[in-house]
Amino acid sequence: MQRDHGCHRIDHALSRRGFLASGALAGVASLSSPAVATELRKKQKRVLQVYLQGGVSQLESWDPKPGTRYGGPFRAIPTSVPGMHISELLPHSAQRMHLMSIVRGINLKTNSHHDGRLFMEMGRRSGQFPYVGSVAAKYLMPENSPLPGYLHVTTRGLTDLTNAFLDARYGQLKLAGPQVPANLIRPKTVTADAARRSRTLLTRLNTRFSGRGGQQSFTDSYNASFEMAEKLMARRDLFEGEPAGKDLDRYGRHPFGRNCLLARTLLENGGTVVKVTHHGYDTHAENFNFHLEQLGEFDKTFCMLLDDLHDSGMLESTLVMIYSEFGRTPKINVRYGRDHWGTAWSIALGGQGITPGAIIGATNKQGTEVSEREVDGGHLFHTYLQALGIDSTAYHTLDGRTVPIGDPARQPIQELLA
Amino acid sequence: MRVFLRPLRLLCPLLALTLLASAADVAAGVPGNALQHQVDTLIESALPDFAKHASPLCSDAEFLRRVTLDLTATIPSSAATRRFLADTTASAIKRARLIDRLLASPAYARRMQYLLDWILMERRTSENVRSAAWQAYLRQAAVENRPWDQLAHEILVEGGGGDSNTRPRARFYLDREFDLTVVTRDVGRIFLGKDLECAQCHNHPVVDAYLQRHYYGLKAFLDRSYVFTDPKSKKKSLGEKAEGDVTFTSAFDDTKGKTSPRILDLAEIIDPDGSNKQYVTKPGKSAGGVPRYSRRRQLGIAVTAEQNRAFRLNIANRLWAAMMGRGLVEPLDLAHAANPPSHPELLGLLGDQLHDHGYDMKWFLGQLARTRTYQRSSLTRDASAQIALKHFGVGLLKPLSPEQYAWAAMEATGLLASTRSAARKKLEADAAKAAKPATKPATKPDTQPATKPGGSNNVASTISAAALETAVDEVVAVHIKAFVTQFAAEGGQKTSFSATAPQALFLVNGTLIRDWLKPTTSNLTGRLSKLDDQPAIAEELYIGILNRPPTPAEQAEVIGYLAATTDRSAAITELTWALLLSAEFRFNH
Repeated sequence: MQRDHGCHRIDHALSRRGFLASGALAGVASLSSPAVATELRKKQKRVLQVYLQGGVSQLESWDPKPGTRYGGPFRAIPTSVPGMHISELLPHSAQRMHLMSIVRGINLKTNSHHDGRLFMEMGRRSGQFPYVGSVAAKYLMPENSPLPGYLHVTTRGLTDLTNAFLDARYGQLKLAGPQVPANLIRPKTVTADAARRSRTLLTRLNTRFSGRGGQQSFTDSYNASFEMAEKLMARRDLFEGEPAGKDLDRYGRHPFGRNCLLARTLLENGGTVVKVTHHGYDTHAENFNFHLEQLGEFDKTFCMLLDDLHDSGMLESTLVMIYSEFGRTPKINVRYGRDHWGTAWSIALGGQGITPGAIIGATNKQGTEVSEREVDGGHLFHTYLQALGIDSTAYHTLDGRTVPIGDPARQPIQELLA
Repeated sequence: MRVFLRPLRLLCPLLALTLLASAADVAAGVPGNALQHQVDTLIESALPDFAKHASPLCSDAEFLRRVTLDLTATIPSSAATRRFLADTTASAIKRARLIDRLLASPAYARRMQYLLDWILMERRTSENVRSAAWQAYLRQAAVENRPWDQLAHEILVEGGGGDSNTRPRARFYLDREFDLTVVTRDVGRIFLGKDLECAQCHNHPVVDAYLQRHYYGLKAFLDRSYVFTDPKSKKKSLGEKAEGDVTFTSAFDDTKGKTSPRILDLAEIIDPDGSNKQYVTKPGKSAGGVPRYSRRRQLGIAVTAEQNRAFRLNIANRLWAAMMGRGLVEPLDLAHAANPPSHPELLGLLGDQLHDHGYDMKWFLGQLARTRTYQRSSLTRDASAQIALKHFGVGLLKPLSPEQYAWAAMEATGLLASTRSAARKKLEADAAKAAKPATKPATKPDTQPATKPGGSNNVASTISAAALETAVDEVVAVHIKAFVTQFAAEGGQKTSFSATAPQALFLVNGTLIRDWLKPTTSNLTGRLSKLDDQPAIAEELYIGILNRPPTPAEQAEVIGYLAATTDRSAAITELTWALLLSAEFRFNH
């Protein structure tokens, strides 16, 4: 078994530079060359993230092991890529795997929801680092973007500090679903004039206070939150009106179907990073029944969204990520459940910058260990960003000091990059 | 039950310094405030040209707002602000008196309840233990000013949740689902300031000071404990076995280790002879195990023990961070040799002093509030901003916690004044009702407490400030919850700040704040609309919301705003809204 020497956290990266001792993580980050950022923006690259919350079972999805000790009851089926088999729970995906690739050798060395999620999002096990969505928003979002850069459609969850030390404009904005977001509409008692007048006053007050305590990033973040809110208020139309019946028939009338339709609308209307969370994969009991149901919903809906992106020509400039915080144990427990398992599991990627139809890495026969090309959240983080043309080995700059964008002890999966 | 002995510890090195105690302390009748001077000396001597870069002391108004938020979780009322600013006593003396007054007020316990909850639970959701019961437990601890070591001991030892009397304190363990990895890590992070997670699989590759045996030494205290689910009630609690040892293998070189419980490099704590498999209650299907010798009890003893310096340094650093906006060690849970404190001698001093004062957090916070370091203005000298920031030469911005934000907004808009007066009336009415039977002849007059004279027309005086605040807490709980839902982010105190669009939408369009702005007979917009004099409106606005008088330019701005519209009432609401949403209000500065 390939051993992984080091666990890459903020203390490692930073103590090497004597960074932590010297001050707060406050400031603005930038690519070393502004020209690079401008070039990226012209090409209007985007990201679609579908997050299977709770930890989807790799054995019931991208890495089936039918007929083995822990394989479970479902079969593997052939796909549109010769030699590639996935679970029979994903029949629609199977017909489209020539657009997607699978990474099968992920070992996160954690079985915690919280830690697994952070590792997958930040490319580091912990510490205050920006999520991949915030980094992508920073480098891909056009100057005059009509929408906030990083939108997350989810029915649950606390506020995450996804932008960490990056500018607040790149922080994730959560949307509770296709309905009009809470508090989006100006109260009737406030006239347009009054809103404009008082907003102008507020701006003046905030300008005077800006930079107090030497902490420019604090006041900038506060001010940016109002600008993002106003962008959203200006595109209230995106949340109004029922989707076309034909679309609902294709995507499904369930919340995930509607959320994916909203994701399509957001991507079509200038969204840069759009994440949709599909909840309910934490199947400690009745793993098989739940996956049958959950993946049935995911498979059809996701494939309709994939088709639409493909048909409109957007797929080639949109990185598509299907991921979780971890997979599920090969061992089936007494409640027919599978438990948390960060040791040997899979994700699927496609679109912008990804070689389609590939399988990277493998697990052993019973799926209990990675047997080939082991990677973790750090490698994947580099891979996502490089697929988008962002140099993940460059540095964020903070008050004249630097923090590597991706973990310097990790590399992208080169063979997966187109 | 462990007895907490508090021997009188003589502070010999400090005797000399007490001679330096300022006139303010003497005048305020507070002896032994030497720590504040040592703090300032250590901060100011750490940078050769400190005076050149540092900001001057903040104004009385800035101090009043800052310290009221830090010690009572809210802003001062308009009346209290005027009183403080009008008081002509020397500034140092009135600041010292203010600190003492705030520490003695019932609202101090409320602030500590919030702060301790944040430190211990880091905004985790409540799964197995009712959050309200946990909050009440912390509140009571704060009311009694229970020492931190005692609190830590209670949570670590009696936090199993099996006893209904002590169940609330089980939130620390049970709302982490007693996941061994998480609990081991969080005991290290929250009580020792050390995140040993990396040392789980191998000696830490870069942080030389974090060893695999440190992680497993800590884990060994806990790994005999397990979650027991009562078959009938389905309630979870901790059981503990009286056997089992922790072994570990390095992922680097397969070297094996075995350890008994131990804190970092302190001695291993060996199980007493004959304790193996000895039970008070054997682990079974209907009851969780209770061993004769509990390793979890040893954890509470060892963590808080005299020789474990990490414990005192951690809490000193966390309380410093809460007051000053940044820890001496940052992140707060990464204390190790390669990430030393910015001011090592100071952290040592703070830890020792806190320990020598029996982990009296109230005393400690009072000392910090008295320092020049705490009282510096947040206005920087431009060229020096970054240097001052690093060296505590400027007052740092602290984003209001969700709870502080809610209380401050309720105070500023005047909602709190009416809530408090309604709560007082209700308490008085209840007390009057309850007092009637007590005045019947059966009770001898001389057994009546002195504070409770017979006549029911005097019940008002029997409503204690603490009882009133508890009643107010109940009424406003729903508003606090709304702010927590909107503004709480996972995790503990950080040196970064992030505001979100949904938060801005809540502030701009949300009905809660808009409702508070509707004029009533007693609230701020109501008061303002009764004023004819425009400068007076400007002053009441700024005093009521930002706790300072407006500058002449700001006064002119308000007057201009009022002059530009015919709808005066609307203009007053707009002005109030803008000040309430201003960055100056959002931060403690």
